[in-house]
Amino acid sequence: MARKKSDRRRQLERAAMYPLDWLEERSGLVGGVRYFLFRKVPGDTNWFHTLGSATLTAFLVQLVTGVILAMYYKPDPKSAHASIDHITHEVTLGWLVRGMHKWGASVFIILMFMHMGRVFLFGAYKYPRELNWIIGVLLLATGLFEGLTGYLLPFDQTAYWATVVAININGTAPFVGPFLASLLRGGAEIGPDTLARFYSLHMLLIPGALLGLITLHLYLVIRLGVTSPPWSSEAAGSGRPPEPPPAQAGLVRPRPRAAVKGRPTE
Amino acid sequence: MEDPRGDEQRHQPPPSLWPVGFAVGIVCLLVGLIVSWPAAAVGAAIAVVFGFLWARDVVAAGRGPALPGPGEPEAAPTAPAIPAHKGEAAMPEPEPAERFPRSVFLEMSTLGLGGIIGGIVTVPAIGFAVLPAFLKQHSPEIDLGPITDFPEGQYVVATFLRNPSEGEISRRTAYIRNNGMRSGTPSFTCISNRCAHLGCPVQPGGPVFDSKKQTVKTKNGEVDLIPALPAAGFICPCHGGAYDQEGNRTAGPPVRALDRYQFLIRDGHLVLLGTYSVSSVSGSGAQAKIHRYQLTGPGQHIDAPESWLYPVQPPH
Amino acid sequence: MSALDDRRRRFTQYKEDVKKRGKPFYPYAMFHDTVMSLVVVCVIFLLAVVWRYGWFGDALGPLNGPKADPGTTSFVPRPDWYFYFLFYLLRIFKWPESVILATVGIPTILLIILLALPFVDLRTERRLGRRPVAVVAAVLVVISMGVLTYKGATAKEAIAAEVKAAVPSWAKKEGFAGNKEALAGANLFAVSACTNCHTYLGTGSSNLGAPDLSAEGAKGKGIQFQISHLKCPSCVNSGSPMPAFADLGQDNLKKLATFLEASKGGK
Repeated sequence: MARKKSDRRRQLERAAMYPLDWLEERSGLVGGVRYFLFRKVPGDTNWFHTLGSATLTAFLVQLVTGVILAMYYKPDPKSAHASIDHITHEVTLGWLVRGMHKWGASVFIILMFMHMGRVFLFGAYKYPRELNWIIGVLLLATGLFEGLTGYLLPFDQTAYWATVVAININGTAPFVGPFLASLLRGGAEIGPDTLARFYSLHMLLIPGALLGLITLHLYLVIRLGVTSPPWSSEAAGSGRPPEPPPAQAGLVRPRPRAAVKGRPTE
Repeated sequence: MEDPRGDEQRHQPPPSLWPVGFAVGIVCLLVGLIVSWPAAAVGAAIAVVFGFLWARDVVAAGRGPALPGPGEPEAAPTAPAIPAHKGEAAMPEPEPAERFPRSVFLEMSTLGLGGIIGGIVTVPAIGFAVLPAFLKQHSPEIDLGPITDFPEGQYVVATFLRNPSEGEISRRTAYIRNNGMRSGTPSFTCISNRCAHLGCPVQPGGPVFDSKKQTVKTKNGEVDLIPALPAAGFICPCHGGAYDQEGNRTAGPPVRALDRYQFLIRDGHLVLLGTYSVSSVSGSGAQAKIHRYQLTGPGQHIDAPESWLYPVQPPH
Repeated sequence: MSALDDRRRRFTQYKEDVKKRGKPFYPYAMFHDTVMSLVVVCVIFLLAVVWRYGWFGDALGPLNGPKADPGTTSFVPRPDWYFYFLFYLLRIFKWPESVILATVGIPTILLIILLALPFVDLRTERRLGRRPVAVVAAVLVVISMGVLTYKGATAKEAIAAEVKAAVPSWAKKEGFAGNKEALAGANLFAVSACTNCHTYLGTGSSNLGAPDLSAEGAKGKGIQFQISHLKCPSCVNSGSPMPAFADLGQDNLKKLATFLEASKGGK
């Protein structure tokens, strides 16, 4: 009886796993995700190490809320301000999506700075992670530029005049400044096309760049591994002995290599 | 399991173009049914002819090995096997010197073709994004109404649409003072209200008489004229720039005097043209001597030693 | 070369150690990450709610500002808070020759320092106790950014409408409500861009170097002095950057002077 039940259980399990195996055989994606999830990190990673993923979360919040806002926002100087009013006061839960986007931006920037501070204090920018530090700095600069372009979109007084000053600040860069300023404005003066230009930069070009940089950043994190805190007595972290993951508990558990390949065995 | 080759030989129909003609005929027929009867007839005829030819081929193929083709390998077994290292190579063995150029050629042409594709796509895209910012820049004429609305010797805050077709985004403010006549022509001081530091709006250093506001209808729509008494000149609230009544910098970070509008008098109306930059103004009112320069962005030096940092200006 | 070899050896050692004694990312480290992400999302959500309902006295600002007016003569912009340190730099560098330092120079230098950091600091040492320069630099950066951001955040601006609206409260606090001449002077003070540089009972642009005038009358300088100072500040007080208000006319100057003399610091 017991034996029969376990047979059935195995059958059920195989049926449940079939889509994953199908996917794995054709793409190798499941193996990749599994590698990502079950790769080893030093034993004493701690709360400080969560700042990077927290930043990513904040970015994803921006991505989602931004896409929804784009459904209602009108990047035209004549109607932009009214469409923001519309989103805030009339669209159901529009205030929430806009509020989360507006304040998520601040949280994203704060977390970027905190994450950078953590990496600096842990000395995690040292060999062989120099390149990842540089990508991180570029991410910070790109993220700030994203904030700058987004600041114009509500098209209220503060937005307009802060952008005037910001563009003119760019204009004071030696040699190229005046051209950079004209390029940002889309002309000699802030005109009807400037807002749409900033909108396009804010929701297509810069997020694309951010996504690309984030992918590279994560790739390097996975490839080079997570640094243990500087106070660790050994590179992989001291303290608790490695605790093998429980065999049955957990939603996802590492499976033997043969099964991962996804080929039915006999 | 069957031998796949045998399977192929037995069932695969020979290559034929007739189905294509048949399909074209059907399409022609269907389109003709909607468009015109003769076309439908032609389509039907094509379909019938090609259908017949196709059917004949299929039948002929089914009947037996009438086709040449896979028969060739049958001759091979009679000949003695050629050792792999002898005879003609599948690909002519290139001279060492030749092999290289071929791969170089492929490399170069791949890169070149890729470059062409990239060029065809990106040149218009980037040109579209970049060039409009620099081309076709012109300053519209701004009609501010009859010059009699500007009392002599008094500043007026004029607010107008620089380009009415662009709407509110082109609203600008200028401080305008009628200097009276100078050798027979009216003289005006037309100061732009954009700070020469970073472009914030400067304010008159003195009371603005909102109650005496006057709205004039001109070709540029409504122009608001408000008398003001900028006794202390103009002051920028952002970073503390200060200018005298002629627009000369007196304190704070601005790198030069306030920009001015060119103007002309047409049919008794004051018409503003484009703006230009000013390093300094000596004298005042109608006798002022203006040291004028090409329009330059805020914060950029035009006569100080630092001006070499900004050698070329984009078209304005 | 040997330094590089040493670094390579250490990294290989790290890889081996992690492989042998590390813990799997999932679920151990990922649990922390997930909790932190939850906190982040909750904070964002709460900020949106606080902003929407204007809790804590509208601490997060209005839902929407007035529509952009490129023709305004009385607006003072400020950037988003994370640019306050740059914004405040612009107020610190108040000489024409140094504009480029504040606009482009300092940000560029900061960016170059950040990019160059891993190539300058080549030691393998990561313990903070053994990296005094790094710690000092970090503390200095945090303090200076913090101070600049704080100064930028608390920098006050003179919004014309707000200044005008504040006049009755000035009169009440300073006790010159009954003095017609002083009241007229206060109104003139409010509309003459004085508050672009001076502060008066908390209204006006701070940080531009001009003194607070709430208690100007307490100095006992007299109306005559005030008038001659207004007429030509640099004549009375050599080197003063304040512009001359002589063109306001004797009448207006007298009103202003009366107002200033009536300003005893408020209650």
